[in-house]
Amino acid sequence: MAARSGGDMAARSGGDMAAREVGGPVTGPALDGRSGEAGRERRVAADLRARVAGQFGRSLHIRTLDTGSCAACEQEIRLLAAPHYDLHRLGFFFTPAPRHADLLMVTGPMIRAFDVAARKTFDAMPGPKIVVATGACALGGVYPADAFTHGGIGGILPVDVWIPGCPPSPLALLQGLLVAVDRLAEKAAGLTFTAAVPAEEVPR
Amino acid sequence: MPMWFARGLRRGVVTTRYPARPEPSAAGLPTPPAFDAQRIGPALADRLCELCPSRALRLVKGDGEAGGDVLIFDVGACTACGRCREAAPGAVTASGEFELAATARGHLVKRIPLRGEARP
Amino acid sequence: MNSLTWCYAAAAGWGLAAAVALLGAAALGAAKGVMRATCALSALGGAAAVVGGVSSLLWGNSRVVSLGGAVVVGTMQLQASSLAGVFTALLGLVAVALAAYAPRYHQATAATAVYLAVYNLALVAALAVFAAANVVTFLVAWESVALLCYLLILRHPRREAVASGAFWFLALSETGFVLIVAALVILATQTHSMQLDVIAARAHLVPAGWRNAAYLLALTGFGFKAGLVPLHVWLPEAHPVAPADGSAFLSGLVVKLGAYGIALFAFRLLPVGAAWLGLLTLAAGAVTAAIGILYALNERDLKRFLAFSTIENTGIIVIAFGAAMVFGSYGQRELWAFLLLAGLYHVANHGTYKSLLFLEAGVVKHTAGTRDMDRLGGLIHRLPRSAVITLVGTLGIAALPPLNGFVSEWLIFQGLFQGFRTGSHLIGILIVLAAATLGLTGGLAIYAFVRGYGIPFLGMPRTRQAAAASERGQPTAGPGLLAAACVALAVGAPLVLLALSRAVATVTGVALRPVLLPGNLTVIPAHTDFSAFSPTYLAVFLTAVTVVPVLIYLAGRPRAGSVTVPVWDGGMVAFRPRMQYSAMTFSAPTRVTFDALYRPSVSLRRASDDPAGRSGPVHYESEVTPVFLRYLYRPVIRAVEWLADAVRPLQSGDVNLYLLYVFVVILLAYLIGAL
Repeated sequence: MAARSGGDMAARSGGDMAAREVGGPVTGPALDGRSGEAGRERRVAADLRARVAGQFGRSLHIRTLDTGSCAACEQEIRLLAAPHYDLHRLGFFFTPAPRHADLLMVTGPMIRAFDVAARKTFDAMPGPKIVVATGACALGGVYPADAFTHGGIGGILPVDVWIPGCPPSPLALLQGLLVAVDRLAEKAAGLTFTAAVPAEEVPR
Repeated sequence: MPMWFARGLRRGVVTTRYPARPEPSAAGLPTPPAFDAQRIGPALADRLCELCPSRALRLVKGDGEAGGDVLIFDVGACTACGRCREAAPGAVTASGEFELAATARGHLVKRIPLRGEARP
Repeated sequence: MNSLTWCYAAAAGWGLAAAVALLGAAALGAAKGVMRATCALSALGGAAAVVGGVSSLLWGNSRVVSLGGAVVVGTMQLQASSLAGVFTALLGLVAVALAAYAPRYHQATAATAVYLAVYNLALVAALAVFAAANVVTFLVAWESVALLCYLLILRHPRREAVASGAFWFLALSETGFVLIVAALVILATQTHSMQLDVIAARAHLVPAGWRNAAYLLALTGFGFKAGLVPLHVWLPEAHPVAPADGSAFLSGLVVKLGAYGIALFAFRLLPVGAAWLGLLTLAAGAVTAAIGILYALNERDLKRFLAFSTIENTGIIVIAFGAAMVFGSYGQRELWAFLLLAGLYHVANHGTYKSLLFLEAGVVKHTAGTRDMDRLGGLIHRLPRSAVITLVGTLGIAALPPLNGFVSEWLIFQGLFQGFRTGSHLIGILIVLAAATLGLTGGLAIYAFVRGYGIPFLGMPRTRQAAAASERGQPTAGPGLLAAACVALAVGAPLVLLALSRAVATVTGVALRPVLLPGNLTVIPAHTDFSAFSPTYLAVFLTAVTVVPVLIYLAGRPRAGSVTVPVWDGGMVAFRPRMQYSAMTFSAPTRVTFDALYRPSVSLRRASDDPAGRSGPVHYESEVTPVFLRYLYRPVIRAVEWLADAVRPLQSGDVNLYLLYVFVVILLAYLIGAL
């Protein structure tokens, strides 16, 4: 399973901010709050999160990028602007121009034919910028890497937030966006996906 | 145009209050499964791994404490199709979690240690 | 020194320059030094002309000087008049700029030496037109200018379209000349004098019918030279084929000769006539302005585009003159004088920025190899100095604040908006219609010049030649001087208005200055209860306002390094420069809106009927119907040819028939003599 760790905001905003997140429970070194090195990284990460929240917390422009999806994710993204979910009330806006965008919302398994366009779109966005991988395809599920597709955007673009789902519902998208701008805490890391089934529900 | 306006006045505000207040319609969303580790034996685990169409489940034998198997569940690859739930309704239920955004890919890969000895 | 003395000095300078050019070429062969000497003398002459023009603005008409000798009928008489002051000063400024431009533009050959000699003589002849004090001098000088300009346009006689362009110029110039002769002869015979001053003094004694006929003949005759629609067709034919400084001279100055002629008749010889003459002039100006800019939007060739823009600006000047005449007929003397002043200001402004633009078009042609906008692009990186200078000229001609075009157009608008003061509702509405047309013209002019600057200079080069353009060795001093003059005419507007108001006071007898410039650098259009504006403060303010965002940026920009990435092109794998906007697509909306005027015709031919992509080569041709050439001039030309054919038997070549003609004429002479 391609498990590239979370995006490196230093490279993108071209400056002095350290990595946002280092590794995860399976592939990278664990973050141990007790040692000095990790403690400093934690402080820098917290400072970074505060900066991100300050810059993007109240107004964020989103550019969607379809790297070969089936458009089900796009339909859910479209619903965000509809009256029921209304992302404008949270300060989010869609923009077609990457030059005006703060956040790149990527769907689809990143087909190889799209490499140049994806790179150009990402480069055209001024820093600081956030990349959100949306949907199971972009996260590396559904389509494995082969001659036509990279199988997920993890290796191509530096991703900050991953939103699973096929497609992710508009509520999941809203939560993902709010996590990206630090207005909501991430829940997924703490979930275990284990549940004891009560005895009476087990079929005979 | 006036009819639309009148209908809007009748209906009232339809916008969800999420995230300030929970959204009632979220109860009906398809969500990734939750596994009851005690009820999944190696045979069932193997069958579940084969069933998953997006290869979200992987079994690592003997990796857990006390030599048991570990079921690696990649929530990111899960499409909530429900096949694993249909195959083992006593062991797999819908988790009901839809707020799944993660800041690292690794946060979405869950290790679920299964019980030690085989049980039919 | 007397302003006329300065004019003599200028003429001497230019005459010497012409002599040096010819003699130097004959004696020393094609030498760069000869060309530089010629241009230095020309520049000196130009400086003298500027001083002479400005001094005649400030100190009124000089005395009339008779140069002895009989030229056809009567002597040559010269006078540096106030009305001609602006034109003379403009002539001098353009001469200096062109003198700085020519050495780096032309190759040093014998043909160039002849060309420069002809050009300097044309300068002398133009000065003589402005300084002419009697009918004969005026006509002789006028015709000399026409012939010398014909030779100017024929700099490269063997190149394509040069001969036909020059011929269009000459043919229409001569047609206009016939009408001008008729007009002046009418006035001279009716007032029994050849001297312009005397004609002006006695004009009110001439019967109204003769006066109106003279004015109409003059309007049409001078309209040929100025470029009033439909008498304008020589401009887009002649300007592209002349060398760049020749085109600058044509547009910057020769067209102004027509404007000078109209002003001469409207304000000096026949002041305050019937209102309908003023309305006719106003209408002619409005139509010219609108049609000029509409056709400019359809041109790909930079010089044809600028030629049509000249037509538009002639229209604006004639609008000012026509409206002044209308106000004069209705007793509004302040507005009469004010609009004359505004028209003269626009003459100076247009001469400056149009010459600049033509000179830069020459630079573009020499560096990028083509004048076709659709083969240019990205020149702002390759020709940085020229790009900045052209930008100043473009902002001026698009009448954007704070430059000079804005000031003069604002003055004209303010004059037109006061149409209600005439007291007649109909006249007021007609004047407002003219103002609306001027507004349409102004908007289209901005559109046209965004296209005219953006397509060649901005974006990416569309051809390899454009990408290889280099500014080394290209003239910048001449156009730079004109750009500085544009800025000076804007920021120094109060001074310019001071000088012009003195000239207008001499011509019309109305002292505008106390109302016009109440002292704190503000301009008030003729009546204090209408509006006020300060060009100087505006220029300073706009400059200061642009400083503030720069300071904010410098103070607040991120300390971290910035990344340079390519222009966002939609993520295309291969973005070709040909995918950019082209000049014709940029102006396509006007072809849709004004298709009743343009009547565009499209021809589309495919090699086969296969679906798109496999049909082989596709030939697409779109043409805007040349309405005037096709429906006005072709029939006239055909009629003349038919007439010539019909009369040809007279020239049979048979000697006996010719002897019969001689006999018949002598018989008729006896009979008429006897009667």
